[in-house]
Amino acid sequence: MISPHIIRSGLPRRCLFAASSVRSYASQTPGNPMLEVFNRKTKHLQKDRAARNVEESRKVDYLKDEVAMRLCERLLDIKRDFPNVLDLGANSCNIARALTTPYMDEGTPEGVITPPLSSKISKLTCVETSRALLHRDEDMDFNKEIDIHRDVIPDLETLPYQPNTFDAVLSSLSIHWINDLPGLLNQVNAILKPDAPFICAMFGGDTLFELRGSMQLADLERRGGVSPHVSPLADVKDVGSLLNRAGFKMLTVDVEDIVVEFPDTFALMQDLQAMGESNAIMHREAGPISRDVLLANEAIYRTLHMDEDAPGIPATFRMIYMIGWKEGKNQPQPLQRGSGDVNLKDILGGGDFSKP
Amino acid sequence: MPTKTRPVEKFAKATAQCSVEAAAYGKCVVSDYNSVHKDMCAKEFMRLKDCFLAASKKG
Repeated sequence: MISPHIIRSGLPRRCLFAASSVRSYASQTPGNPMLEVFNRKTKHLQKDRAARNVEESRKVDYLKDEVAMRLCERLLDIKRDFPNVLDLGANSCNIARALTTPYMDEGTPEGVITPPLSSKISKLTCVETSRALLHRDEDMDFNKEIDIHRDVIPDLETLPYQPNTFDAVLSSLSIHWINDLPGLLNQVNAILKPDAPFICAMFGGDTLFELRGSMQLADLERRGGVSPHVSPLADVKDVGSLLNRAGFKMLTVDVEDIVVEFPDTFALMQDLQAMGESNAIMHREAGPISRDVLLANEAIYRTLHMDEDAPGIPATFRMIYMIGWKEGKNQPQPLQRGSGDVNLKDILGGGDFSKP
Repeated sequence: MPTKTRPVEKFAKATAQCSVEAAAYGKCVVSDYNSVHKDMCAKEFMRLKDCFLAASKKG
């Protein structure tokens, strides 16, 4: 028996309880909550604004073009044709440009021109969030040499493609701005056909470590505290497990440093801005960096990182290249650990590093 | 060629004229960069800033 008193006072609570009575287990809140590291709106605006200044934007494509070239070189190792390819986060279609450039192959005799890689690809879909950036080089000649489809999507983190669609997914210098990297890699794995590769280059951990460090020192000395001025990046050692978790097989991960020389830190920051690669971390300080800090940063950067008599300051960009394959039938499998019967030492010649 | 110089370009140009002061300030901060605190090198910074202000007036 329940006394009337308890019913009266417990009425609102009882209604609530009835509505949520099925919740007996711990459950995930809807919408798959995740850690937001980067402000996507800010990033979109930065890319869009940068690309609208066409002349400046083309001038600073040196890094993206170089990396796209190096990424596409990795396609040479795969003796296969790719009818349907996705360029994830295409920027200004740098990959398409690299694919249509005739490359120098050291193996072929001089005078023989190898056909550009684009001959292996029938259809390239370039996807990007910024319309201005994606369509920037629409009228250039390379567009005629490859069948490009440009897709502007509101958000790179949700891909609007059907499972088992693409024969390869390429991505160059784009996914370092993704908040939910595991989620994106899962999607990439889904949209690939079985036994199809995902080939990607992204900025990694130690990129711009000089600027990160000197900015912190300048902030500390001038203002007594630190605010993040360089966005965080994924580390090399995380990439392998990320790919593994998303179900990729036969992983290859390698790292390459590109050091670019700039006349001063202002030129470096200007170029980053024109690339659309400025800081886009959540809760970053509103407004520009104070002039005092900029002045201090320039002095500290030079003292710490400039070689004597060097004409400019070095800035390191660390590229992480990764290749992962979607699981497929008859795919080569790695051998069991410990099943090798040839000693690598014999093949590599003793392994005595002290000899020249 | 853009005829208008951006403020940051003027800023860079003025800073470039103070390399001696910048080196002195940089040396002061770097000399003990594990325990940098606010205004550790205030004197050196003011010298750098004075030079910078004078240089930006001239330019």
